Amino acid sequence: MSRALRMSSGLLLAVSLAACGDKGGDPMRQYGPNPWLPNPHQYLIPPMRVPKAVGWKVGEAPTVPAGLRIQAMATGLMHPRIVYALPNGDVLVVESNGPGTKPFRPKDYVQGKVKARAGAADKGGNRITLLRDANGDGTPELKSVLIDHLHSPYGIAWVAGTLYVANTDAIVAYPFMPGQTRIGAPGVKLADLPAGPINHHWTKAMVASADGSKLYVGVGSNSNITENGMDAEEGRAAIYEVDRTTGAKRIYASGVRNPTNLAIQPGTGQLFAVANERDEIGPDLVPDYLTSVIDGGFYGWPWSYWGRHVDVRVHPQNPAMVAKAIKPDYGLSSHVAALGLSFSQGETLSPKFSNGAFVGEHGSWDRSPLNGYQVIFVPFVNGKPAGMPIPIVTDFLAADHKTVRGRPVGVALDRTGALIIADDVGNTVWRVSGSPAR
Amino acid sequence: MVPEFTGVRALHPFFISLGGAFLIAAFFTDYMYSSNSLMQWANFSAWLITGGLVFALVSAVVLVIEVALGRAGPLRWLDFSLLAAAAVLSIINVLVHTRDAWTSVVPTGMLLSAIVAILLVIIGFRGWTVAAIPIANPGKGS
Repeated sequence: MSRALRMSSGLLLAVSLAACGDKGGDPMRQYGPNPWLPNPHQYLIPPMRVPKAVGWKVGEAPTVPAGLRIQAMATGLMHPRIVYALPNGDVLVVESNGPGTKPFRPKDYVQGKVKARAGAADKGGNRITLLRDANGDGTPELKSVLIDHLHSPYGIAWVAGTLYVANTDAIVAYPFMPGQTRIGAPGVKLADLPAGPINHHWTKAMVASADGSKLYVGVGSNSNITENGMDAEEGRAAIYEVDRTTGAKRIYASGVRNPTNLAIQPGTGQLFAVANERDEIGPDLVPDYLTSVIDGGFYGWPWSYWGRHVDVRVHPQNPAMVAKAIKPDYGLSSHVAALGLSFSQGETLSPKFSNGAFVGEHGSWDRSPLNGYQVIFVPFVNGKPAGMPIPIVTDFLAADHKTVRGRPVGVALDRTGALIIADDVGNTVWRVSGSPAR
Repeated sequence: MVPEFTGVRALHPFFISLGGAFLIAAFFTDYMYSSNSLMQWANFSAWLITGGLVFALVSAVVLVIEVALGRAGPLRWLDFSLLAAAAVLSIINVLVHTRDAWTSVVPTGMLLSAIVAILLVIIGFRGWTVAAIPIANPGKGS
């Protein structure tokens, strides 16, 4: 018996060593148009590594570079995910979390528990809260629940007297004029969006086109890499274009695994997206990305990544689609979970941040060492992301990587040009301004 | 001279046979997935292997108790080694089956399932037991 035991414990040890020795490299090699891509490999033990969510103590805040100032604009929120600035200066905060999915495999129970440790399972408010800071000092004089009892809302857009809310299963339109602090009228459904019965990537990012005639909606895949079956992926991993008046919709771009946020580039009107790429083929695969989105473009998922790198986990394979796959514009390094995207509007914070995009990196759950957990600025040159990113809001994660106080999600610029950040683990909305402390 | 039957039976073969049936079934569901690419078959495999390992644990506990109580005799080392190998391979296999989609089964997962199924068929033919079982207790009480 002892021999058999020794043999089995030896094998188990080899298995766990194989899992532990798997450290990711320098994420900086994977920022930019041509990220370093190692060979994929398969795991025996699914990669899972998360810090424990502990929240912010009174007076604590993330770190910003010298010359900038950060303050908590609102605290005690219920899992804030998206922030949105209205023309009159009011800030809307979408408090939300996924509707939850039933496990398919024994693995799903374990992964759910691990992600919950980092605060991912906290209940969302399913509401939109309005913050009014009329004097622009960063301390709102008014906090009001604008709409309640929503169904896992995420993207919002205000166009011409109507507030569009992208719930996980439908876009709902509410008559609304800036200045109002409460919407009493029931919403009217504009268009259905792909949701249950499986609803793996539940967020529905949304942005209005420059002329306001269309709404673009990000619909994530229904799995990591088709493990819930190909049928579940019908109409998924795509960016939809929805007519704002009729609700007619079409797939604008496809093969985007999880388009977690969308933004329109000022000046050009070009649609950009941040997307989260696939897991479990290595700590440095596959980089999340920021890209311009082309009408009719196909970006690879599930058959390939970063252009034509085939993913062997998808069966049957599809060489015809792989041949069509577009390479994204700019790598954001692997597993950072880029969730927030907002273009800068000139030198509102500092001359360094005049032309580019702010990206909220929610932070990895399946990579060692941890990656993300910060807000970065990606500089643009000639309308395209170029050069190395500049970390702008950091230290969400403790220095020892064991605990996390908050995790950044959506980002937006308010009327004064200050950067507003939703923090769904700290349950806080942060405001970063260039103005000196008062 | 006819041994007197005491009514005491060893239970561990029952649990070994249950776990064995689950693990043999997993080879079938793995094969089905490899032939039709429908994920639900691979999900069945993951549950069957997990269930097989739970019964392996129960079998081990029952076996230890029965040996301690004298209800199962000395270990039959060949059967024990085959069963231990099947259990260890199944632990690796349940991890392989945590991978996503095709490579959770093809090729490594299905190969391991096949080896385990062969081992378990041998163990089954040999009586689903790893210890000599006293089915009777001659002389007791007389």
